[in-house]
Amino acid sequence: MRSPNSKKAKTKRLESIRSGIQYLIAILRLQPGIKQKMASKLGLAGGIPERRVRPIWDAIDSRQFKNALKLTTTLLSKHPHSPYALALKALILERMGKPDEALSVCLNAKELLYKNESLLMDDLTLSTLQIVFQRLDHLELATSCYEHACGKFPNNLELMMGLFNCYVREYSFVKQQQTAIKMYKLVGEERFLLWAVCSIQLQVLCGNGGEKLLLLAEGLLKKHVASHGLHEPEALIVYFSILEQQAKYGDALDILGGKLGSLLMIEVDKLRIQGKLLARAGDYAAAANVYQKILELCGDDWEAFLHYLGCLFEDESSWASETINTPINPPKYVECKLTHLTDEVFNSCVENASAFVQKLQAEASNDSLRNPCLAHLEIERRKCLFRKNNDDNLVEALLQYYSRFGHLACFTSDVEAFLQVLPPEKKMEFLDKLMKNSNSLSVVPTRALGQSITLLKTQELIGNMFNLSVAELEGSAVQMAELYCKSLPLSKDLDPQESMHGEELLSIVCNVLVQLFWRTRDLGYFIEAIMVLEFGLTIRRYTFQYKILLLHLYSYFGALPLAYERYKSLDVKNILMETVSHHILPQMLASPLWADLSNLLKDYLKFMDDHFRESADLTFLAYRHRNYSKVIEFVQFKERLQHSNQYLVARVEAPILQLKQGADNIEEEESILESLKCGADFIELSNEIGSKSLTFNEDFQSRPWWTPTTEKNYLLGPFEGISYRPKENLTKEREENVRGFIERKSLLPRMIYLSIQSASVLYKDNSEINDSLADPKISTELKVLLERYAKMLGFSLNDAIDVVVGVSRGLKSYEVFGSDVIDWLNFAVFFNAWSLNSHDSGRQGGERTPGSWHVVNSLLENYILGKLRSMGPLIQSPQGDLPILVKLVTEPLAWHGLVIQACVRTCLPSGKKKKKSGSTDQSISLLSNAVRDAIQSLCSVLEEVAKWSQDQIKSPEDNKIDLLVSSLKRNGGAGKVFNILETLASSPNETELGDRISQALRSWSPVDVGRKIVTGQCRVLSEFWRICESKIKSLKTLKQQIALV
Amino acid sequence: MTTIRRFCCNDLLRFASVNLDHLTETFNMSFYMTYLARWPDYFHVAEGPGNRIMGYIMGKVEGQGESWHGHVTAVTVAPEYRRQQLAKKLMNLLEDISDKIDKAYFVDLFVRASNTPAIKMYEKLGYVIYRRVLRYYSGEEDGLDMRKALSRDVEKKSIIPLKRPVTPDELEDGISESFRYAKHVDKKMFLVMNTFNVFSVVVTFIFHCTLYLYNSWIMLLYNVILLYKLQYSEFSLSKYF
Repeated sequence: MRSPNSKKAKTKRLESIRSGIQYLIAILRLQPGIKQKMASKLGLAGGIPERRVRPIWDAIDSRQFKNALKLTTTLLSKHPHSPYALALKALILERMGKPDEALSVCLNAKELLYKNESLLMDDLTLSTLQIVFQRLDHLELATSCYEHACGKFPNNLELMMGLFNCYVREYSFVKQQQTAIKMYKLVGEERFLLWAVCSIQLQVLCGNGGEKLLLLAEGLLKKHVASHGLHEPEALIVYFSILEQQAKYGDALDILGGKLGSLLMIEVDKLRIQGKLLARAGDYAAAANVYQKILELCGDDWEAFLHYLGCLFEDESSWASETINTPINPPKYVECKLTHLTDEVFNSCVENASAFVQKLQAEASNDSLRNPCLAHLEIERRKCLFRKNNDDNLVEALLQYYSRFGHLACFTSDVEAFLQVLPPEKKMEFLDKLMKNSNSLSVVPTRALGQSITLLKTQELIGNMFNLSVAELEGSAVQMAELYCKSLPLSKDLDPQESMHGEELLSIVCNVLVQLFWRTRDLGYFIEAIMVLEFGLTIRRYTFQYKILLLHLYSYFGALPLAYERYKSLDVKNILMETVSHHILPQMLASPLWADLSNLLKDYLKFMDDHFRESADLTFLAYRHRNYSKVIEFVQFKERLQHSNQYLVARVEAPILQLKQGADNIEEEESILESLKCGADFIELSNEIGSKSLTFNEDFQSRPWWTPTTEKNYLLGPFEGISYRPKENLTKEREENVRGFIERKSLLPRMIYLSIQSASVLYKDNSEINDSLADPKISTELKVLLERYAKMLGFSLNDAIDVVVGVSRGLKSYEVFGSDVIDWLNFAVFFNAWSLNSHDSGRQGGERTPGSWHVVNSLLENYILGKLRSMGPLIQSPQGDLPILVKLVTEPLAWHGLVIQACVRTCLPSGKKKKKSGSTDQSISLLSNAVRDAIQSLCSVLEEVAKWSQDQIKSPEDNKIDLLVSSLKRNGGAGKVFNILETLASSPNETELGDRISQALRSWSPVDVGRKIVTGQCRVLSEFWRICESKIKSLKTLKQQIALV
Repeated sequence: MTTIRRFCCNDLLRFASVNLDHLTETFNMSFYMTYLARWPDYFHVAEGPGNRIMGYIMGKVEGQGESWHGHVTAVTVAPEYRRQQLAKKLMNLLEDISDKIDKAYFVDLFVRASNTPAIKMYEKLGYVIYRRVLRYYSGEEDGLDMRKALSRDVEKKSIIPLKRPVTPDELEDGISESFRYAKHVDKKMFLVMNTFNVFSVVVTFIFHCTLYLYNSWIMLLYNVILLYKLQYSEFSLSKYF
């Protein structure tokens, strides 16, 4: 199956309608009518004859903005006081990228509108102004224009709708409600009443409105229904939701059963509402009957069946309502409460359910209907949960399900929830029985292949793969590879774009090989896993599952550019950036590939921000088209995205990346900080993150088992058997971690700013007044932040200082830093900066001795050099400590470099400064000595790092490729699967495999894969080397400068 | 074992496994949300056990008079749920809604002329190739407009195949909507499309002139009208300001 309006065409055509004016235009276009009517009213547009305005429209239309501007200037000479002409000019200026001029013209137009009482105030002028104001991020000005207009012409419906639209954009639910009520009173139309009701609902659901407001909404609806009835099904749905929110299920049921119920034309939809209302009202018996009816109408409706069971067992948990942070991928098992039932009641429920399922099964004309079989499984599962001794029946039911549907690719995901309730030994029993069944596979080859794959997937799902010995694992990988080769001819005649039979086999082989690597640490298996997937992609380049696995393998192997390439080939865009970018983002954040990372963050943030900007317009569209339930949904969805943990992280990481990039030049860094309002906004984020609810929208389902979440990578630790691999996104622990991370990270910009200030203002006025050690506010604020930072690390300020001093003197080991080593080193850097300029009578602070300098120097030096010594060449040791090394150099070391730059700048003699006093001279010489030492220390560290990178870059490429390929050709160990694939590729049977597959096989080249890996690793190292070199260069310049002091 | 229900915003966060497939386009948000805001009954999702998204269909209803029809904008099924006739189920649902609720005359869809497996599938579902749309896809590839008549079109007039191919600009208002409105929003696209227009007009003109030689003078008149229409049918955005 495929999308009929397929990919590229739609992309090109529709991608570009994303934001701002284009979008508005699109909206207007999708609801033609209003504006045209306006425009052609009496042939006037904004009070100007249409024929004069048309050329301007055409010019804007064809993007000839200069021409349009010229025409507008002429128009303005004839109509100097026309707000519409001004609005057009503003629109053109904004499109030409002159926001300031556009704003001032807009304000002129606004002033004219306000001043001149007799002036025409039409929606065309106002909506044009509104578009420009919105583009300029001045929604409030547009609103005030409409407010003014509505005040002047209180009975103009069009203007009121414009005003309502303004409030929708501002998310001012109360004002929306008031305006809608006014419109309703004016014309008595149902839709305006519903606009008001929705606005009330939004106050309750997304604003501060109390639930009592719902009573008001209900009252309004009731009154309207009594006098006018209801005409839209959506209105009825809103009515139900208002009643449901107040738990007035009986009232809702009465309405549904009455005349209004006929508004719902699809019978099943009506029944679904009825069933839900009855169940929530506690009338489970009646609800069960309704769900039975639904199932009789659509026998394949799984949700209806679950609700049916929920009703039989009188279990309310299946109607739990969602909240904003309900996980996007709910747990796979179905929540059910059974403890309240007696044996008798339970038995009779089960009997009823079984009888009904049997009836369904008998009636099912379609043999491929899975619902009745799964229903049977669900009943057996509940029996297991209730009695705990029903495992055999469940196993039996699972086997039956396998015999019917074992060939389907979805078998394992279908049965996952049922397997979960079985104890490990029963799972194994099930597997054994399946294995025995495998002798009687279907005679249809594709079906038999499907059954074999299912068997393997089930083995994987149960976790049995971790119980096998190395030899058994190898054996099964070989078998799978052979099966893959054998099944290739089945796909001979398939369209190249269609999925091939047996494609999943290579993913399972890869998983087995990765496990073998984890167990044996034989790199050969790891490379073999890469080769297997690359082989698969050579035959069919579209398989996204291979790409995702490869992406993670390459990331782990330090060949991040390759991982990124694979990621890009997934064509992740729009909303997928929110759900899929977790595959690459964390690795990129710790990489030296700054340009790629910057694009990644920019694209993602742009997508999110664009959506926040246009979301209100879409909400208004839903209002206009009377799809009221979508109004609520859109607003809630926007909130969900606004609370996205990933979005908040990206918002903090993007400026930090900028700061990293500019850290070698203090002036550049200062201008970046200035554009970030010196980090003030981020402090605010840090302050409020603790009370903010976060949403977790990443889709972890497609992650490989060895790294099931962004924080976890099993391969980094020693081998342990894993039987259950949770991929649940929202866990309390994860939420806490992200909160802590954002809280800490968002302090950085401000701390960097304050550190630079602290080092810059040093001795500013010292020549005159002895105690004026610069701005005390800076010192105080930095201290407060240091205290917070220390607290986040779990210590008081003094204790944290003790820790860093202790470690730097070798009294404590680096292990006390745990996994927060970067944060600890950052702390030490900022502490040093603060010490430079502090009155604090604390122990270290205020001494202005080189003590704190020494602490930072030695911490950085020892830690980085230690890491360097323990690291082998990248080609032989996947992952390793490269990411942490990159972080060390680009974060604490870079921030320390900035403090040094600020100090050098301060120490340098400046012509303007007065002659310094003796004590200042002494201080400066003390400081310059400390700075000299620091420069020396950093330089030597960086030179070592650069040398380490350079040595690896320079080592001959062919040797490295040999190393990779030869690891697959040793006797024993890895390489068996690889050999099978190699044999196939070396002599493909063209008649069996067909042209396309044979050709693809001939193009297979493992050496090319090896070369790609080597090149990828080298690029990472080169980028890192470049960063180090730039820092060395900057430090050397500083060294020369400080020598002059 | 499928629950088919209305698509909601949160499903956008759950359809990655479907959309990562290279043939399924991930549109921008305003596109999805416009469909949700305007035609929520034409946007349905199929959910399997464990709340997995199996596939979805999005479409709309539009047109004037006897062109009032349902349109399938996208229909897609996740790899692991293929070959189970889910697409058929989703298509039937949309056809049902077009037929029974909106009383449309037919349902149509566009497909790449090279996409043989999809064309075959639509044919199995009762669709016929109504016409070929020249260079419909990015000005590169022809599209096929496939149709299936609904009960309101008793004489099945709506699906009598057109003998000649058409250009995207000749498409009825609703159908060519997305095609044309993109033309104005992106400068690059604008250029591409403009070049394309000139080109396709020339192609169509030559095509029809040839026909004229063999057929009748009516065709020439038709061409003149066509050229006139193309010249003035340019959709103007600025009239909305």
